[in-house]
Amino acid sequence: MDFKLRKAEPADVSDILRLVKELAKHEEMEDQVLLTEKDLLEDGFGETPFYRCVLAEVQTETSSDAETSSGSKVVGFAMYYFTYDPWVGKQLYLEDFFIMEAYRGQCVHHSSSSSSLSLIMTRIISVCVSGLGIGSELLRHLSDLAVTCRCTGMMFVVAENNEPSIRFYKRRGAEDLSKDEGWRVFRFDRDSLLRMATPTEE
Amino acid sequence: MDFTVRAATKEDCKDIWRMITELAVYEKMADQVKISPEDLERDGFGQNPLFECLVVEVPEEQKSTDGFIVVGYALYFYTYSTWTGVCVHLEDLYVMPHFRGNGIGKSLLSKVAQIAKQKQCARLQLCALEWNTPSRDFYAYKGAQDLTATEGWHMLRFDGHTLDSLAQEDAKGS
Repeated sequence: MDFKLRKAEPADVSDILRLVKELAKHEEMEDQVLLTEKDLLEDGFGETPFYRCVLAEVQTETSSDAETSSGSKVVGFAMYYFTYDPWVGKQLYLEDFFIMEAYRGQCVHHSSSSSSLSLIMTRIISVCVSGLGIGSELLRHLSDLAVTCRCTGMMFVVAENNEPSIRFYKRRGAEDLSKDEGWRVFRFDRDSLLRMATPTEE
Repeated sequence: MDFTVRAATKEDCKDIWRMITELAVYEKMADQVKISPEDLERDGFGQNPLFECLVVEVPEEQKSTDGFIVVGYALYFYTYSTWTGVCVHLEDLYVMPHFRGNGIGKSLLSKVAQIAKQKQCARLQLCALEWNTPSRDFYAYKGAQDLTATEGWHMLRFDGHTLDSLAQEDAKGS
């Protein structure tokens, strides 16, 4: 199965939202996704894009009755934007990075019969089709983009219990700035933000 | 103490650069500043600005011992959450040591929050160093959640040769 990477277009917002929700579901936070397709359209494809997106697409074949039709399916995405480090300049910030489970580097499950021979064959087939390399290629594509766009670094945040992701990034040379330099990430939510925004009487 | 908070102009780049360097010294990373005032002008005041900046000015009669009237700054930019949309990231917030304790930091943070509110941002995010207790306490007091503590968030980066290697990596052969 081959795949290709391409820049997202306005017509892709429903696929982007689908994958955003799938990623959130994976983190058990699906109800926290408040964005709509309309938000994604305005924010990503309006006059001032607040994000950019690269999609991973595979070719699909479906058959019904005597006909076979082919199409494509969006199976992964990376959402990023440009930020600024006042010490070294422009950075590419990777906000979301997700490949659908079935297309990642793990066994793809096929239905199998109960005979031991076909079970063995299924396992072999599963191992052979795992690991399309979409994640690696996406990361390579993004870093190439970062270099082309004059960024001095590519940054992102990962939860420390997300060991597969941390291994994936560290294997490729990422530095853990929280561990090595002691940087901690802080957030003000809407309520705190509104409280701070209201001028208090001195 | 009298002071005003205003949007920075390109004429402020030398002062902003000076204070970026002072903040880096405070963070014990002075050798990591590679940027110049010209870079700041190109990146923040050109056609597609990568950041916005507020500066704090004091009257001439209250200038610093070295003669500066620009005594603080906040540098921020817009980011995007796939859950809530546009957010503000406060990258730097700094007040010269002599001018602290007069509500300048609070005023800068409040102004950034107002800007975030105007743009209908749901979040304001920032990073602070582990050992920087004054800053961490200040942000906690103002209602910030430490996501490194509560959710285990770690900041990762590829830069320099690791970024170049990654860009040149042959996907099939890796």
